[in-house]
Amino acid sequence: MKKYLKTACLSALEKTNGGFVYLLPDVLIKIFTLIPLIFLWRVVMSSGAETGMTLPQMLTYTYLSALLADMLDVKTAASGWLSEGVLLKLYGRPMPVLGQLAAQTAGGWAPMLLLFSLPMALMAPLFGVSLVPVSPLFLASLPLCISLGFAVDFLFACLSIRLRGMTWLVNRMRMAIAAVFSGMVIPIKLLPFGMAEIMKYQPFASLGGAPLSVFTGAADARETIALQVIWNLILWPAALLVWKKSQEGMVSYGG
Amino acid sequence: MADRITLGRVLRLLAISAKMDLLWLLRDTRYALLGIGGDIVSNVATVSGVFLIASRFGGIGGMNAGEVLFMMAYSTMATGLFILFGSGNNIHISRIIGRGQLEHLFIQPLPLGVQLATCGFMPFTGGGNLIMGIVLMAAAVRRMGLQVTFLWFFSLLAYLLATLTVIVARSYLVSSMAFYAPAAAEEISSTAIDGTWFMSTFPLSGMPAFIQIPLLTVLPEGLMAWFPSLCLLGRPPLNLTAYYPMVFALIISLIASAIFRKGLTHYVTKGSNRYLPHGFRR
Repeated sequence: MKKYLKTACLSALEKTNGGFVYLLPDVLIKIFTLIPLIFLWRVVMSSGAETGMTLPQMLTYTYLSALLADMLDVKTAASGWLSEGVLLKLYGRPMPVLGQLAAQTAGGWAPMLLLFSLPMALMAPLFGVSLVPVSPLFLASLPLCISLGFAVDFLFACLSIRLRGMTWLVNRMRMAIAAVFSGMVIPIKLLPFGMAEIMKYQPFASLGGAPLSVFTGAADARETIALQVIWNLILWPAALLVWKKSQEGMVSYGG
Repeated sequence: MADRITLGRVLRLLAISAKMDLLWLLRDTRYALLGIGGDIVSNVATVSGVFLIASRFGGIGGMNAGEVLFMMAYSTMATGLFILFGSGNNIHISRIIGRGQLEHLFIQPLPLGVQLATCGFMPFTGGGNLIMGIVLMAAAVRRMGLQVTFLWFFSLLAYLLATLTVIVARSYLVSSMAFYAPAAAEEISSTAIDGTWFMSTFPLSGMPAFIQIPLLTVLPEGLMAWFPSLCLLGRPPLNLTAYYPMVFALIISLIASAIFRKGLTHYVTKGSNRYLPHGFRR
């Protein structure tokens, strides 16, 4: 475990190599996106349409989604490192490759959690947002979401390998799918045209939207967690199998 | 000696970029088509989120679902033009600066500006979003029963040009940091362009002025789709003139130009520290 923690620490330090000042643009963009988004939902919800979610629930959902964004939609460096040739180096280290990727990713979350999430969590009451979970089962739902996020990311990395390293394309498609199907931006419950009932059973709904719904009480916690467990049980063996088969197909041009 | 730059020369340079794009499409058709498809899906997904909200709630802040669709169509067209002319990192300019690749451009017998303006033109693999935007725009115009006159069409082109100018100028403005800190600021244009893309799809109607005004000045996301769309619909917001996007585009271009030139002077004086003597990038 120590070597994974060390990898995570190195990853966190790497993010601040250029100094904290160079993280500021990203922090500012996150803040300047979150604040209008809060007001956008205030405007939208003031129309009085029946949605099954209250304004405080919606604000908490949106706010928490921004604070935990990295964890709710896990992105490892696997796809990028494939095209840069870095991924192949991981095979020369005495640690499992997927374990290294997981530790490196988790460590990379630390700077933004400290610089953005923590201060904004403290300021939440100023925006009229409550960050008290409705259900303690959130503490189970979040790790399940992160675990599933890694499995999904490894599957996308395998797709990158299959597509001969078209990392940019895979990332674009992945971002699009995550934006619409995970419920991180728009809660699945709010989707129109009867889409909500069908969409909640697809695997991406067990990612970011699931812990947010449990936290705000917008979905049945037990049903949500059951679905998350099921998708973990399906996608992890699939990810490991596909990864094993894909390794021989890795081609890198170098950075 | 540099070639004399005429309109014909610029068009021939654009044709060279287009030819290289076509060759990629023909040589690697399967992957090129996958790229085009993925790009369209990605952008449509981004704008569809806001439209789905508008459909679900019967509008947003005084804009009905048709007007929101119009705004999303405008946003998709702007994105389409950006991809059409900016697919060679020529708008994500901090990548070229940060990686020390400006030298590659210095050895060409063409002015830097002409190279940057023409090298990212990809009409075959990069035109999908513009076509999708035009289709969405036609659907929105039909849905709202708008009268499309020559003047209205000219206004649409003028607003799109202003929006693109703001995107390019802002990218060049922040990318000037890469002249001084090439490694740390290599991806700063991505933060400025891609990081704010989602925010640019927000209809700001109904929001308080202290949100709207910063988004039309300091962080001009409101000029990416919301403000121009309302101008084209005949009701410029906040009692501002309908020419505000053009004025803003002009001002930010002048500021970006001055700061970029200053950074470029620093770069040609000091050089890039990204490469070790034996050629590897730091």
